[in-house]
Amino acid sequence: MLLPKFDFHEPKTVNEACQILAEYGAKARILAGGTDLMVNMKKKILSPQQLVSISRIPELKNLEASADHIRIGACFTVADLCESDAIQRHLSALAEGAKNLGTPLIRNLATIGGNIGSARPAADLPPPLMAYGAQAVLSSLSGERTVPLDQFFLGPGFTAMKPDEILTEIQVPALPASSGAGYINIGVRKAQDCNLVNVASFIALDAGGIIQNARIVMGCVGPIPLRARSAEKILIGQKPDTALFTRAGAAAGSDSTPIDDFRGTAAYKKDMVGVLTRRTLDIAFHKATHRQ
Amino acid sequence: MKKLIHLTINDQSFEVAVEPNQTLVDLLRYQLGLTGTKKGCEMGDCGSCTVILDGKAVNSCLVLAIQADGRNIQTIEGLETAEGLHPVQEAFVEKGAIQCGFCSSGMILSAKNLLDQTPNPSDTQIRRALSGNLCRCTGYQKIIEAVQSAKTI
Ligand SMILES: Cc1cc2nc3c(=O)[nH]c(=O)nc-3n(C[C@H](O)[C@H](O)[C@H](O)COP(=O)(O)OP(=O)(O)OC[C@H]3O[C@@H](n4cnc5c(N)ncnc54)[C@H](O)[C@@H]3O)c2cc1C
Ligand code: FES
Ligand code: FES
Repeated sequence: MLLPKFDFHEPKTVNEACQILAEYGAKARILAGGTDLMVNMKKKILSPQQLVSISRIPELKNLEASADHIRIGACFTVADLCESDAIQRHLSALAEGAKNLGTPLIRNLATIGGNIGSARPAADLPPPLMAYGAQAVLSSLSGERTVPLDQFFLGPGFTAMKPDEILTEIQVPALPASSGAGYINIGVRKAQDCNLVNVASFIALDAGGIIQNARIVMGCVGPIPLRARSAEKILIGQKPDTALFTRAGAAAGSDSTPIDDFRGTAAYKKDMVGVLTRRTLDIAFHKATHRQ
Repeated sequence: MKKLIHLTINDQSFEVAVEPNQTLVDLLRYQLGLTGTKKGCEMGDCGSCTVILDGKAVNSCLVLAIQADGRNIQTIEGLETAEGLHPVQEAFVEKGAIQCGFCSSGMILSAKNLLDQTPNPSDTQIRRALSGNLCRCTGYQKIIEAVQSAKTI
């Protein structure tokens, strides 16, 4: 299977990458792990004339946990996410998403930046990242800007990134004391499967154990990962228990807009959104009350 | 336009001229004659093109040859030494884990990569490590048994 022809660039710094993107604009594409882009190019869905590989830019591979943020470089691989103690400790729902992405061979190549940049509605990392309130940091020759992931996805394969911008890092704000998140994905098989439904839930409790903040993100049930706003409203201000989580699950199901396809019917997916919302809230509540 | 790259394959240095749109698997098979690395789907799904790139097992159909410049690659051809087959290869033969053999290079490299990092893996770890390698002959049980026996060597 032949790849279309292109010119290849391998910048060593972000600035150099931005210069190349500024010169070629929409004719250029960023290449990270290639696990999405190579497939799209082989299928001739995309034929960029200029390919800008960012794998040799060391600063994009950093992971930094400070008092107020965890910053994950765009080229941090999914395998690195699975193995990182800091991710497991602070962002366990993201680690869970990473462990369930693709295959070991894919995880060794795939990057967090590529998972976000490809903007697939079924992708594993956006729901946990959005549940944690993550932001994307975008760089271009005109400077740097930060976009909340909530506003980043515009449709399947479309994002708020401009052609001359590069996603340099993902910032996750440090979590409040009594908070936690859970992530569950289901597919037709256990390994190497496109998700049928995936849900991430985050809750933060106040000193009295009341839910102060909640974010629920559903994948595969709309053109982009969706927030379950009415489910979140049901949770905020309440004391967590199973009945409440079940009600929130039912509301999340109504918030979702799935379609019938060969993986399952829309009705089944709505039901599964309900189940996964309840289960991920259970995990989030457990984390919130057991986290040191 | 072709570009000159330098890479190490099975401990041997190579200098080759590659087209930007040439994949690593095509470089290995068609330019260097290392046909032990197979091509199945060419889409990252089957794992028959598995190679170990800087210590990590990857699908060589999704990597550009030009991206391998300066890097270290191990293919199935590099496992055998003067002493004979690699213990994982030996175990595949002993346990009857090879039928048509098309998936074997990839399976063996994924298993070796696992054992290099986790010398004593659990059954679940073995199954997870091989989950990117499909066997069209579906001889999975014998393949798992082969890796289990190789871990004790
Ligand atoms: C067999 C197989 C199984 C898969 N299974 C899963 C799965 O279970 N779950 C899942 O979520 N995904 C899955 N994927 C999809 C893919 O592996 C992931 O989305 C992966 O994270 C993409 O990362 P990458 O580095 O390979 O991206 P690339 O292919 O390099 O890039 C993807 C897109 O993002 C853009 N991009 C990449 N990095 C940046 C950046 N820093 N700044 C701006 N734009 C950027 C690229 O231009 C391109 O358009 C699978 C793919 C395959 C082939
Ligand atoms: S040929 Fe590379 S994964 Fe199938
Ligand atoms: S032995 Fe035939 S594909 Fe595995």
